[in-house]
Amino acid sequence: MSKREKYSFAAAPATAKKFWKSLEAKENPAAFAKAAEPEFPMGVGTVEDAASVSRRGFLTVATATAAAIGLEGCVRRPVEQILPYAQAPEYLNPGVPMHYATSVERRGEALGLLVTTHEGRPTKIEGNPEHPASLGSTDLLAQAMVLDLYDPDRSNAPKQGEAKKTFADVDALMASIVRTHSADAGAGLRILATPSISPSFLRLRAAVQQRFPQAKFYTWTPVNESNAREGARLAFGEPVVAHHDYQGAKIILSIDSDFLQTESGSIRSARRFADGRRLSQATDSMSRLYVVESTHSTTGANADHRLALAPSKITAYLRALAKELATAHRIELGPLGAALQGASNAGLPTKWISNVAKELVGARGRSVIVAGSRQPAAVHALVHALNAALGNHGATIVFSSVADTTETDQTASITAFAAGLEGAKTAIILGGNPVFDAPADLDLATKLARVETSLHFSGTHDETCHATKWHVPRAHELESWGDLRALDGTVTIQQPLIAPLFGGRTDLEVLAQLAGERNWRGYYVVRQTLRGAAGVQNGFESEWRRVLHRGFVAGSAEPPRPGVIDMSRVATALGRSEPAVDGFEAVFLACAKMLDGRHANNAWLLELPDPLTRITWDNVALLSPKTASELGVRNGDMIRVTRDGTSIELPAWKLPGQPDKAVGLLMGWGRKHAGRYGNDVGFDVYPLRRSDALHSAAVQVAKLAGSYPISQTQDHDSMEGRPIAIDGTLEEFKADPTFAIHRSPTPRTLPLWREVEYRGHKWGLVIDLGACTGCNTCVIACQSENNIPTVGKAMVAKGREMHWIRIDRYFVGEDANEPEVAFQPLACQQCEEAPCENVCPVEATAHSPEGLNDMAYNRCIGTRYCANNCPYKARRFNYFNWHTKNEADEEVPPTRQMQFNPNVTVRMRGVMEKCTYCVQRIETARTATKIAGRPMRDGDINVACAQACPSNAITFGDLNDAASRVSRQNQVSRHYKLLADIGAQPRTTFLAKVRNPNPEMSA
Amino acid sequence: MQIFPKTLNILPLALAFVTFVAGGAVTGIVWFYFSPKNFQVGYAPEQPVAYSHRLHAGQLGMDCRYCHANVESSAEAMVPPTQTCMGCHTLVKAQSPRLQVVRDSWASGEPIEWVRVHKLPDHAYFNHAAHLNAGVGCASCHGRIDQMEVVAISQPLGMGWCLDCHRNPGPHLRPRDQITNMAWEQTASEEAVQALAANVHPPENCSGCHR
Repeated sequence: MSKREKYSFAAAPATAKKFWKSLEAKENPAAFAKAAEPEFPMGVGTVEDAASVSRRGFLTVATATAAAIGLEGCVRRPVEQILPYAQAPEYLNPGVPMHYATSVERRGEALGLLVTTHEGRPTKIEGNPEHPASLGSTDLLAQAMVLDLYDPDRSNAPKQGEAKKTFADVDALMASIVRTHSADAGAGLRILATPSISPSFLRLRAAVQQRFPQAKFYTWTPVNESNAREGARLAFGEPVVAHHDYQGAKIILSIDSDFLQTESGSIRSARRFADGRRLSQATDSMSRLYVVESTHSTTGANADHRLALAPSKITAYLRALAKELATAHRIELGPLGAALQGASNAGLPTKWISNVAKELVGARGRSVIVAGSRQPAAVHALVHALNAALGNHGATIVFSSVADTTETDQTASITAFAAGLEGAKTAIILGGNPVFDAPADLDLATKLARVETSLHFSGTHDETCHATKWHVPRAHELESWGDLRALDGTVTIQQPLIAPLFGGRTDLEVLAQLAGERNWRGYYVVRQTLRGAAGVQNGFESEWRRVLHRGFVAGSAEPPRPGVIDMSRVATALGRSEPAVDGFEAVFLACAKMLDGRHANNAWLLELPDPLTRITWDNVALLSPKTASELGVRNGDMIRVTRDGTSIELPAWKLPGQPDKAVGLLMGWGRKHAGRYGNDVGFDVYPLRRSDALHSAAVQVAKLAGSYPISQTQDHDSMEGRPIAIDGTLEEFKADPTFAIHRSPTPRTLPLWREVEYRGHKWGLVIDLGACTGCNTCVIACQSENNIPTVGKAMVAKGREMHWIRIDRYFVGEDANEPEVAFQPLACQQCEEAPCENVCPVEATAHSPEGLNDMAYNRCIGTRYCANNCPYKARRFNYFNWHTKNEADEEVPPTRQMQFNPNVTVRMRGVMEKCTYCVQRIETARTATKIAGRPMRDGDINVACAQACPSNAITFGDLNDAASRVSRQNQVSRHYKLLADIGAQPRTTFLAKVRNPNPEMSA
Repeated sequence: MQIFPKTLNILPLALAFVTFVAGGAVTGIVWFYFSPKNFQVGYAPEQPVAYSHRLHAGQLGMDCRYCHANVESSAEAMVPPTQTCMGCHTLVKAQSPRLQVVRDSWASGEPIEWVRVHKLPDHAYFNHAAHLNAGVGCASCHGRIDQMEVVAISQPLGMGWCLDCHRNPGPHLRPRDQITNMAWEQTASEEAVQALAANVHPPENCSGCHR
């Protein structure tokens, strides 16, 4: 046998941009490369793990194991029972999953969903392709919500204090509330709900209001749209919703808006944004995205130019930009022009003002300026004014009305609620968790304690339930009847997939009881609303069935309209300018995973690496590298953030691209009563968030002694400095449309085996790095489809996370404070010359005739040679029996099993696993099409990651079918193979990312 | 002083020989006989209801699909709901004490706790619909159910046994309309058999059955 010479990598060209995963790797590449050398970082069998096992202990265990193995062969496997229905539901075919259309509310938008159920158990969530808000995709929270349904810590009974009660008691209580307040016309009745987009909710609220004229309704949710609504009120006189055409716009300017991930309507935004940037040939054009923001968001990571500004400077920037537009470019702003006279460029980069203004003017009617929900109403109003003056209204921006026109500013609403509790007899809180997330200065817990009767309807026995007299389980969205109005007006139906697992009421049912509806169950309420709205009396049943089947009322979208702006009102609003803050500022950020804390007990989300920091199981205070070094803080060092005497302590983390002096604080962590997974995980930042400054505030920051261990994955799975994520500029693309292939190494390894000709199907996957926004939805989609376990914080620190698909985040460039970002989703590449297959001693991983790199779990004996030999680091090993016990030896609760996909093996300890291109879906489609007697067509199969992807960055299909979408994507000139030089011939291929920088910005 | 006589010098050799032979024999026995053919075949657990396939499928001639209704469209053959039993037994033998369990289930809504006979390992994904639509008859895997008073396993159901057919499906296929015919026998010519198999391509790779 000949020994191959040691592999040497082709040196990167001197002009190549520098890619780095972490500051540590950037600063000290040599040390980092050494750390990446061992295949399994801190793996088993090292001294650290073995230290606790003595020789004697080892022998005991080994003997017992040997005996157990011997005995196992003799014991007949357990008797298993088959339990058929006594009376089978109609249309149910055991073994064949059913799909139902439903929906979920997300930041004021209704996401249409299709949910898969196996024998009545919802297991997987997909987007409803016909629904205007989801377009067949979902966001990562929707993917994860199926696990919330099976949360073992969901409340299973009503409680009065700590005493368990029944729903009959609740009904009696509701009746007594109705009696009490019939006497005082509702004067002592206070109802706090989360902002609703449900037509039924609004109808019932009016009915309750009519029955109890003195009763008061309030709304609160910590991550809300109040500023946007107020801004629209200022500009148009009514709280309209703006719809941005990110596809048609040539120039997009985001003022602190994370429209690709956390903002309202992000799925549609991400799809349209990506659609405006899909380049297939040199003549194609793409949009240019400028982002000015107060943290480093996913949207900022996708920007062509990004300006990090402390929160207090963002308004100043926009005013300066508006002034430049009005003065240098003669944009007609009417009375607003005068109000902008005072705007100054002090402390702002001038090229960001002159160039952006020039670009916006150059793309009149084809640009979009969008303001984020953290920005004050005046900024939203000014953005509306600028868009109007630039001719964007009616072109790239249209408007529709909001679901609830009476909704007022939520900070004012929750403040009024807190103040009004003094004279209240009954306080009903529908959903939400205000004691945890309401502005800290309101001190809701103390005030609620003084109310005679207080109820909280909630899925778990959370912080608010501990402050109210009564707790009543609230049904999960997948267990509820409801209706939602999408941003464009489409009436969407929410139908339950399963009866409430532990009982539970919905908001609609509570209101219907209060309103005195005879049929107060959600089903009747929704039908009643629809009957009234649709105006169909004859044939309602057939219309109802059509609506349920489709998931929404077809044609119910409101015709979009241009807005009529009132510049003078905007001018008045703009008059009050906020002074810039000199020192540190805290920015309160909606967490991409927790949102506001409602998903805090969801292990999938807890373990999902944050899109930018790659941190799992924790939140941190984000600091810019410069600020951190001024403070003398390293990653993980504890800091104290103080605001007017209140302080929180949490670990600091350097995030390249974070504005200097701006401390990014992610909300929703550090809950006390979330459940077994989420309790005391992370750090609660709400104590600093008060009603006077909800989004940013001046704070003091001090370094503390000590540090805190953070589990993050940014340095895991290193590919050691080789060209992995390839990106170029539009100019480079136009000069050489095949630049990606030229930059990736040339294949130079001859195949080891005789090359196989793939007849029949040849499955392939193409990932468009230009479209990928890095939102991480695919990671959770894969996790829920493929029964992937979570491993816990300690195990992530050891590099044992199990995600089959991961999103590698690279920072690009030399400047650690202003880096560009590249995302790269990476799963098993299904190599045709798979290095893993050659080294498996038991042939547990072998090639299928269709080119899949099959993994027979039951054959695997856990040598881990395959992972060792995988150049893409795509294999994952089960170090423990994650699905039965966690590493702390706690049993995994049985409800968790209900989510499992029955078509995928639940892997046991000692087994290697990896992406299989969702082979269960391929086989299901194969059988179905065979039975139907037709060939498989493009689109019959979609893999979970591709199906969930909001921006359609992933395409799956048959490469042997020249007309398939994946074949067409495979022909795009940006196409390249990862690490082509090692000759593994990966089936998954990539399309290089193309950026569209403005040459004048670097001049 | 010698404790052991010199003749004992042969002992180590004899022991080695015995170990070798006995060890070989044990290995051989386990290898050949500890197989599904010997451990699976014949398993016939007692069921909560003494349901006789010989009576229903044999003497009465009921088609398999009367009860296993979705077997052609689902991976599962589906044990029928109590409802199916009661379809007849509200009229036929309505008072029989042997059907008490069925009537109890119908009244209470609780399922009858049948004992699974044919069980493949959890990592093997067998699909009834795929096999039936390809032309594999019920009897090919389940044997002459119509002659069984108590259902027993009649085939090894091991992976080697599966592969025997997957590698050469022709002889095990039959026309689609004979799927549930228990007594059907292959009488066609070799060419006709191969014609039946022309469009059947059973997978031989891992992910065909293991996911």
